[in-house]
This record gives sequence, C-alpha cells and structure tokens, in this order.
Amino acid sequence: MGIKSEQHSSASSIDSSSDPSAAGASSSSTDLRLGLSISSSYYNDLFPTPTTTTRVQPLSWPPIRSILRSAHLDKALDHKQASLFIKIYMEGIPIGRKLNLFAQDGYDSLIATIAHMFPTTVLCPGADRVHSDKYHVLTYEDKEGDWMMVGDVPWEMFLNNVKRLKITRADSFDRAMAFLKLINGGPLPLGTNS
Amino acid sequence: MNLKRKNPNPDPSSPDSDESTQLSSPFPDEVLERVLSLLNSRKDRNSVSLVCKDWYDAERWSRTHVFIGNCYSVSPEILTRRFPNIRSVTLKGKPRFSDFDLVPPKWGACVHSWLLVFATKYHFLEALRLKRMTVSDESLKFLALSFPNFKALSLLSCDGFSTDGLASITTHCKNLTELDIQENDIDDKSGKWLSCFPENFMSLEVLNFANLNSDVNFEALERLVSWCKSLKVLKVNENITLEQLQRLLVLAPHLREVGTGSLLQELTPRQHSELKSAFSNCKNLNILSGFTEVTSIFLPVLYPACTNLTFLNLSYAVLQSDELSNLLIHCPLLQRLWVLDSVEDEGLEAVGSNCPLLEELRVFPASDPHEDEIVHGVTEIGFLAVSYGCKKLHYVLYFCRRMTNAAVTTIVQNCPDFTHFRLCIMNPRQPDYQTGEPMDEAFGAVVKTCTKLRRLAVSGLLTDLTFEYIGKYAKNLETLSVAFAGSSDWGMECVLKGCPKLRKLEIRDCPFGNAALLSSFRKYESMRSLWMSGCKVTMNGCRLLAQEMPRLNVEVIKECGNDDCQADKLYVYRSVAGPRKDAPPFVLTL
Repeated sequence: MGIKSEQHSSASSIDSSSDPSAAGASSSSTDLRLGLSISSSYYNDLFPTPTTTTRVQPLSWPPIRSILRSAHLDKALDHKQASLFIKIYMEGIPIGRKLNLFAQDGYDSLIATIAHMFPTTVLCPGADRVHSDKYHVLTYEDKEGDWMMVGDVPWEMFLNNVKRLKITRADSFDRAMAFLKLINGGPLPLGTNS
Repeated sequence: MNLKRKNPNPDPSSPDSDESTQLSSPFPDEVLERVLSLLNSRKDRNSVSLVCKDWYDAERWSRTHVFIGNCYSVSPEILTRRFPNIRSVTLKGKPRFSDFDLVPPKWGACVHSWLLVFATKYHFLEALRLKRMTVSDESLKFLALSFPNFKALSLLSCDGFSTDGLASITTHCKNLTELDIQENDIDDKSGKWLSCFPENFMSLEVLNFANLNSDVNFEALERLVSWCKSLKVLKVNENITLEQLQRLLVLAPHLREVGTGSLLQELTPRQHSELKSAFSNCKNLNILSGFTEVTSIFLPVLYPACTNLTFLNLSYAVLQSDELSNLLIHCPLLQRLWVLDSVEDEGLEAVGSNCPLLEELRVFPASDPHEDEIVHGVTEIGFLAVSYGCKKLHYVLYFCRRMTNAAVTTIVQNCPDFTHFRLCIMNPRQPDYQTGEPMDEAFGAVVKTCTKLRRLAVSGLLTDLTFEYIGKYAKNLETLSVAFAGSSDWGMECVLKGCPKLRKLEIRDCPFGNAALLSSFRKYESMRSLWMSGCKVTMNGCRLLAQEMPRLNVEVIKECGNDDCQADKLYVYRSVAGPRKDAPPFVLTL
C-alpha cells in the first residue's frame, strides 16, 4: 500500500484525476460534463473556476480520526434541514458567494436575491437579448454534473438537483450553446428555445 | 497492603566514615518512602529515582501508578520486578499514525501478555488505561475475573474486542467505578452489556458509552443512574432520546460531565421547558459533549447550564456561526472548546469575543475537504480573531483551508504561551495564499516566540528553513509531526541536532533519506520513538542504523508490491526488552 506523495498542479489549472492510488479521492468537481464530449478546457474559459480548485488528496489525509469523519457528519449535515447553502459564481468575479436556497420561496425570490448579491440583471430564458454582452443568464449544475438553465423544472425538483449556480454572460452562453448545437446536432439538455 | 523492603541497611559507601553518622540520608527510609509516596508526577519520580540507590529503592516501593508510553519499550516482567506495588497502569501501544490507517491491522500491541503477568504480580490492580492497544474479549474476561479490586477501565482508540468483552467487565467487576469506552474499533453486537450490572450496583462514577451504537436497555440505565449516587460523568450514545436524557438528568443533577444523545427530536413546549429545567438543575456541570444531529431549536435549552462550563465539546455538532455565537454568550468561563469548521470564521470571532478564559481550541473539518465546496471552513481570519480575544490560549489544533505567514506571526505575538501548536493546512504543500511563499516564516515565528512550546505539528509548503528554525529555537519541543514538508536531508538533521528534549518524531511523505536518518543515530536513544513513512530511507540505511545502535528496535513495515530496497514505513524506538517476540510477518526487525 505504500503512500505515494501526490504531485499537485498549480492553483488555477484544471485537475483531472491522476494517481490511481488515490482511490478515495473524488474526481475534480471542475470537470464540466454536458453528457457530450466537449473539451473541458473550452468550457472553463467560459466558466472560470475559483482559484482554489479541488485537488486530488493523498490517502490518510488530512490527519483526522475516521470516527470523527464523514459517516457521522454526513448524517448530521443531511439533517440540517434549516438550510441548503450552495455556491454561486458570476463570470468574471473570482470570489463566489453562498446562498441559502431554502430561504427562497421560488424562482422569483431567487432572482431577486441574486440581483442584490451581484451587479447584474439576470434574464429568464427566452427573453430578448439585444445587448447580450450586458446581460447574464443563470445556470446551475445538477447532480449529474450537467449544466442546465435555471427555471426549467419545478422549484422542488430544482432544489433536489442543484449543486451550484453560475451567472454567465448571455452572449458567451449563446456562443457555447450554438457551438454545442453545431457539434452535436441533437437536442440540448436544456428546455429552452435558444 | 504495603510490601516492605527486606533490607533497610544504610548505604555503606557514605562519604561520612564516622560511625556516629551511619545513615546516608538524614531520615529513616520509612520516612523517605512516606514523603515520596506524596509525589504524583512521574517526571518528578523519575528524577528522584536517579539521586542515589536509597532513593531509587524508596521510590520504586512507593510508586502506585505507572505510565508506559510505548508498550514495547519494556516487558511486564521487568516492570513488575522494579515496581512491586502498582495499583494503576497506563499503557500505550501503536504508533500514533495508526489513527490514520497508516499501520496495517494485526500489527501487535496486545494487552494479554501484560495481563497474565499482572494477574500474579499485581493482584490488587485497580485501574487500567489503554490507548491504541489490541484487546480481545478473552483479555477482558480474564481481566474481570483476575483482579478482585478492579475499579477503572478506560479504552481509547483500541481494537480487537466486542461488546461481549464489556459484558464480562460489567458482570464480574463488583467494585467498578469507571467504564470509559472511547473511539474504539469495537465489534458492537448489542447493548446487553449495560444490563449485566448486578442489582443494587452502586459504585459507578464514570460511564462513557458515547461511541457505541447499539441500543441499551433504558430501564437498566435509569436504574443504574438512580442507584449510583457518586456518578460524576455520564456520556450516553445517540440512541438515547432527549426525553430519556431529561429523565436521567433529573435522577443525577450532581453530574459534572454530560454527553448527550441524539438531539434530533421534536419537543413539545412542555418537554422543552422540562429539559431546560433539568439542565439548569445540574449545578455542578462543567463539561458538555455529544450534540450529534443538533438543531437550533435545542440549543437554548442548554443556556442555563452553561454558566459553569469549562469544556464544551462540539466536535460532532454541525453548527452555523450564529448558533455557536448565541451559545457562547452563555459560556463565560469556558476554558476548552472543540468545534467543527462549519462555524466558519464568524463563529470563531464569537469565540474571541465571548471566551476570555479560553486555553484550548480545536477546530475539526466538518466535511470531506476534497469533496464539497459547500462548507467554507475556517481561515486565518478566525484564528486571528481568537488570538485577539483569548490571551490565555496555549493549546490549538486547527484544520484550515488557507493560512498566511503574517497571520501566524501576529497570532503568536498575541498568544506567546503556546505549549501545543498543531496547524493543519488541509491541502498538502499549500503556500501562503497571499504571498505565494512557503510557510517557513510562520513556524519560525512560532518557535521563536513560544518558548514553552512542547508539541508542534507543521503543514503547508515548507522548505528546510522551517526545520532550521525548529532546531535553533524549539528548545522545549517534545513532539513534532511533519507531513509533505522539507526540501532535503538537512531539514531533518537540523531537528535531530537541535531539539534537546525531543521525544517523539513522526514524519510522513518528506524527502528525508538515509543521510538524515543516520546523522544523529545516538539521538534516538534519548527519544521514545521515530516514525518515518513515505520518505526516502532504504532498507540498507535502516540496517546500518540497527547495526550501530543495538539497543534500539529498528522495525520496517513491509507491504507487498513495493520496491524491496525502499523502507516504506520505519518505526524506531528504544527498548530495554529487546526485539519484539510477537512481530507479525510484515514487520521486519533489523
């Protein structure tokens, strides 16, 4: 079982899982998968990740007794029904914010809260995007790692599936969607009419 | 029953040859023994035993408690020969890194061979405290049956036994005062052991079964608590409900230390106020722990009970910063606090504001740090806030996601009395996040400023400079833990040459090799142990060490599939008992 020291990439680069001996570590959560084979580096230009990316951790690290660890606490975290805190980033701003989704009543409330947190107007899908470099759209990463437009599914289902939120520029989002349509041809995993 | 020595003759080599002053010491041996029996500190006793032969003898006859930091450093035969009157034994077994799964199972440290000798030599043994030992059900049964006066059993981080073994203890130990079962790898079959206490059993003072998962019979527990009027410590497991806890507190309002069960329960207003009243009637309550699945609604129940709290263990409670803040307002006398990093920097700011008497702080990571981005954890900001508000802070264990040299320098200026400084920046080799530089200056500041420092754990990106600082300034350092640090052999050499009081050195995944290992091989005889894993030492280097120092046990743990030349896991320790006789095949004694 010898413990091999991990080589760590520098802060802002993307980590794809390297050493097979790090069996316990999860793969990088910066890996954006749409269920289509698109290179993650392209997507990461559109969706800049924060400076502290997840790294592949060595075994038996950090040095904390397993009895204090996840098994106990995951259960405890699940029971914290008072809040569902998720991270939300805006394209161009490296530091994200935290948002308690349980404190929102629905999509309207969510948009209003976000408008207070970030300097933008968030559009719902399908709206006119005349000056699309000034406007932003709201997307979320679901449990399967796919990026979806916010507002497609009923609020409860959204709460069940959302992992994190991203505010991206409307025109770069359009470009990304157009590119995907081009290379894929088939239906996008978004219920929009873009 | 004190066994007297047989030959109380004075020392014939006394410097006074005059016959009128035949006694080498100014008072009779019986007086010396009586005086020495008042000494409790083992360090003092060790010093006393070195004065002269008379004092050595007097000390050994009067010692009733013995502490053995490494069970392989001495044999039970040697121990019982030197100390005939022992009533209480503390034994530690496996190297500390076994807590993090770095030591394979069945490595050793079995208590049974000790118990066999104790059964004949220490028939009146009263207390046994084991840490990181392997204990079988057979051993527990043997213990329960062999020592008629047995009173206190404490098992911490042990493995190899099941709840059946506990049942032997509760069934047979008629004078049991303490049963403390903590964080063990135990085969938890059932809670029946609690029901095995005899009827009218009254002597229990300490009962801790917080880490056992099986249900116990609540009626049996209630009966036990109501009969044991001297009960001071009660830590229940998470199957005990709030309502049951309330009933127990009403029966035992004199408790000093309480560990709660699960707090996930909807309380009616009546239940809420009954519980609050039960807690506030516990006037002696100093220590609270447990708090699994705590909800905000529960916490105010505790507020009246917190006035005299000195130790609050929230390491199983996922609290937000405001919840902690509201709780701490009621804990002005707090000296020790253990929390999860879910409280974040804001929570720690509340610590700084509300706990001026705080001496010890431990902050543990709430979630798997390399999975979730949801929990922010704590940073240098929280630690700084605590250091500004808690001037008496001297013990810290801090798991954080980022740190700076400047912050640590300020922290130790605020709190120069650190004796234990254990900082874990959770991403290995992470630099100062503001400057991008190594964290050398941080630990340099720690060792330069904190002259009383006894224990240090380092982390982050560190070059040999850190170890130069440690070797140069950490003159009271006894324990050092190092991981993913250093640039070359020179780092480790600095520590070995520079720290005169070093006793335990544990190293993993550092670029230290044979040159470092062999640079001060005589040093290891003045230490309890050295652990090196994932480093660059080879089998040949270890063999050389073993050759040069025959009184050291040099052991390599060999695991399959690895290069035969590399010594993956090295464990070196001094011993008067010679090489292990019970080493498993994967432990090579060189």
